[in-house]
Amino acid sequence: MSWYTLPGQVPWLTLVLVIPLAGALLVALTPSIAGRVIKQLGVLTSVITLALVLAIVGGFQHGVGSLHLQFEEARQWIPALGISYHVGIDGLSLFLLGLNALLFLLAIVVTDPLTPRLKQFVLLLLILEAATAGILLALDLILFYVFWEAMLVPLYFLIGVWGEGRRVYAAFKFLIYTVIGSFAMLIAILAVAAINFSQTQQLSFDWTVLVQHPAVGIWHLPAGLGTIGIQQLLFLGFGLAFAIKMPIFPLHTWLPAAYTSAPIPVVIVFSGLVSKLGAYGFLRFNLALFPDAAHSLGPALALLATIGILYGAFMALVQTDLKRLVAYASMSHLGFIGLGIFAGNLLGIEGALVQMVNHGVIIAALFLVVGMIERRAGTRDRTQLRGLGASAPLFAALFLVVSLAALGLPGLNGFVGEFLIMLGAWTAFVPLAVAAGVGVVLAAWYVLRFYQGSFQEAPPQPPAFTEMRAGDVGILAPLLALMLVIGISPAFFPAAVEATVRALPVITR
Amino acid sequence: MTINVNGVGIDYGVILPELIVVGTAIVVLFLELVVPADRRRWLAAVTVVGLLGALIASLALWGQNRAAFGGTVVGDSLAAFFNVLLLAISILTVLISPRFLQAVELDFGEYYVLLLGATAGMMLLAAATSLMTIFLGIELLSISLYVLSGFARTALRSQESALKYLLLGGFATGFLLYGMALIYGATGSTTLRGIAAFTVAGGSNAAGNVLLLLGIGFLSVGLAFKASAAPFHMWTPDVYEGAPTIVTTFMSVATKSAAFAAIGRIFIATFPSISSRWYFPLALIAIFSLFIGNLVAVIQDNIKRMLAYSGIAHAGYILLGVLPGTTQAFTATLFYIAAYSVMNFGAFAVVTAVGAGGEQTAELSYWRGLFYRRPFLATVMTIFMLSLAGIPPTVGFFAKLFVFQALVNAQIWAPLIVAVIMTIVSFYYYLRVIVVMLAPADEAVVETHGLGVSTSTVLGAAALATIVLGIFPATVLDWATHAASLHF
Repeated sequence: MSWYTLPGQVPWLTLVLVIPLAGALLVALTPSIAGRVIKQLGVLTSVITLALVLAIVGGFQHGVGSLHLQFEEARQWIPALGISYHVGIDGLSLFLLGLNALLFLLAIVVTDPLTPRLKQFVLLLLILEAATAGILLALDLILFYVFWEAMLVPLYFLIGVWGEGRRVYAAFKFLIYTVIGSFAMLIAILAVAAINFSQTQQLSFDWTVLVQHPAVGIWHLPAGLGTIGIQQLLFLGFGLAFAIKMPIFPLHTWLPAAYTSAPIPVVIVFSGLVSKLGAYGFLRFNLALFPDAAHSLGPALALLATIGILYGAFMALVQTDLKRLVAYASMSHLGFIGLGIFAGNLLGIEGALVQMVNHGVIIAALFLVVGMIERRAGTRDRTQLRGLGASAPLFAALFLVVSLAALGLPGLNGFVGEFLIMLGAWTAFVPLAVAAGVGVVLAAWYVLRFYQGSFQEAPPQPPAFTEMRAGDVGILAPLLALMLVIGISPAFFPAAVEATVRALPVITR
Repeated sequence: MTINVNGVGIDYGVILPELIVVGTAIVVLFLELVVPADRRRWLAAVTVVGLLGALIASLALWGQNRAAFGGTVVGDSLAAFFNVLLLAISILTVLISPRFLQAVELDFGEYYVLLLGATAGMMLLAAATSLMTIFLGIELLSISLYVLSGFARTALRSQESALKYLLLGGFATGFLLYGMALIYGATGSTTLRGIAAFTVAGGSNAAGNVLLLLGIGFLSVGLAFKASAAPFHMWTPDVYEGAPTIVTTFMSVATKSAAFAAIGRIFIATFPSISSRWYFPLALIAIFSLFIGNLVAVIQDNIKRMLAYSGIAHAGYILLGVLPGTTQAFTATLFYIAAYSVMNFGAFAVVTAVGAGGEQTAELSYWRGLFYRRPFLATVMTIFMLSLAGIPPTVGFFAKLFVFQALVNAQIWAPLIVAVIMTIVSFYYYLRVIVVMLAPADEAVVETHGLGVSTSTVLGAAALATIVLGIFPATVLDWATHAASLHF
């Protein structure tokens, strides 16, 4: 299934990495006084990147290629240690790459041109875009790690410098959590390669090599504390990094502070994309490289994910700050994705993949709406907003669509993913599927209360609340269109990723 | 002892780089008498030419294995590797020196003479294969540095630091010398080759030879002092803070590099057969350095002291690569030393450029808003800080990666875990510098001095190298692999 074939000689994926960096370089060379030019450069760069990514998505042929990888590029990088520059995409990364390009475009478009130090802000966003794209494309573990760490620095500064409230605290907390996870992963990466070397006499950090030789053996803990499977140990090393990034309960405590402090353009990519990279990491590495451990540890992690669904939903219910409300809603939705992944079956993983795209679209739209409300009303305290729909009916209508998608109404995109995940979870562990169902009900509660409270109830006096402008509608339009398209043709995304998911070791073993 | 032992005779080619450096020092010493005070830049130019000549002469040693002067020095790839590194550091230091020296009114010709003397000592240390030449190299570099630390004759701090360095350094040299005497007593040889032959022949007897082990222990103390590894690091923060910044820049990277060249020759090449004996003390020194360096750096508000403690921490990381005792792991150490030299030199060079304004400039509060006052300096400093923290894509990341990989391959877990945890701690103080530089500017601070072409070129080159080597580390890694293949 593809619409056309792209010429093979062009390094398409490298271009996806290079164009944002080239844009960043241009921004860096522009004098900071030319704020308008800087923003236009940023928009132009991300438009070109989005066009390129869409061309790649359109030219992707499902079920073709070794391990279903396409547009592969492999070059020697550090041959002495078996490290290579190896990039490629498959069903796991394809649509996230599209989401990446879309969300960064939106983030740069909604950036206020009057932001202080606009130049550095746009510069960091573009570098971040290259790093997150690299995470999705890398097929060499060290290359992946390089991008994974490189993502951290721009995020740290975007929150710590341009954030609000206790921004330095929030940025630093996020940094420490993430770095702890990263180093656990780094050691696990080195150990994977060392074990593979002892098994096959081939030193390689290449995913396509390692995926064919799952590690075997058990590890004897010191002082006679028992044994643990090597795979389980490595799984936990990778898993810590990804679980923190997602985040999975109880590693989520950095999230409310970071999301609340981050400025709106940053929080869009942060919640819409970066959290998904944790889920992506689980799929790409944990489920592929350690299938046995994924089966043995899956139930425990699915339980944590389900707790996350309920915990996030309950916390969202009691928030008055809309940004915090959406932050916890995001955590609850991420729990669904986790549940689908750890169900470890075809339906669950497909549902998780679809829901990853859905969640990115929905949560970005929600944060955008919160930003628009805050800019108009001067507050984002839920208790102070009343009857905004009276003076802004279009705003109310569009917000309603977003809300309904967020609570998983059939016919919109949120339903597709959640339904598949519930099916998968039902096959694997019935009680957790039931508990997750409660989460869906809670989602309806907090989303509708948010909508009704702020837009419908009669105001004491008509509030001065401006209607949506054409520009605002234009920003929301691609997201709304995606909600409708995915909702109306629910079979498209699962079919597109099915070949890759079927080949995942966690399914085949 | 006659000069011609084992058929290894006089070979001036092996010590040609050192001879050129010493010769340049003598020339500069005499030129200083005739060059007028406002033309002292010419002394810097002559120094650079001499150092460049030595650098070219060093390249000739690459890929060779020429023992000379009765086996007391050797011209091999390791010596060439360190010669090039040390000479490059020296050249870059000289290039940024004139402006700084004029700003702090210390523009005297003796500075270049002493710098050349220290460089020659370090190069000799890197090429030394006998206890005698090791001692000679250490003394030559130490005495030059004692004087350089106190070079700001009117500044009390500088005097204090020189005296502290001299007293503690003398003490450490005593340990070193005593250790050498014990080793000679145990093995009956002063050349590393002879000592290695004795140790291998002795087999398990050598591993139980108390005299030898004590000697190695004392020797390690002396070398750890020079490498500023904990717990022999006490002098480092005070000397780094008190010495003129340009001197700190030079010695923070060059001394450490030279000391690790000797550590490599002694532990990797001479005593691999009794590695089970020295592994534990060395691991302890590495862990101490990681702990003390990283934890104390967190609470520093003076950027020179912060970098001093960071240097102690990096001595720990570098030492980790020695622990497995294999040439393969020593490759990681060599790469780390090269990486550390580039990034730490850069960081101190920025401090030098900022610090030409006066003494208080090393306080972190002075760096508030540097991004808006001095965007170039702040940008390159950001790159150096990220690299010191080990964040990709900088060379510091690969330095840590290679060392960690060596430890994983050797299944050395405890020091690895300490290193990982302490690296996380280090993120705090490195990133703090960047956050401070990004903070809203302090209006009261007025910058009065420019950078100059040579300083900005050096800084730009160091920053570029930090990034480029962080993306393409393979070539330098190959050089390190080649240089690490030590053999007698």
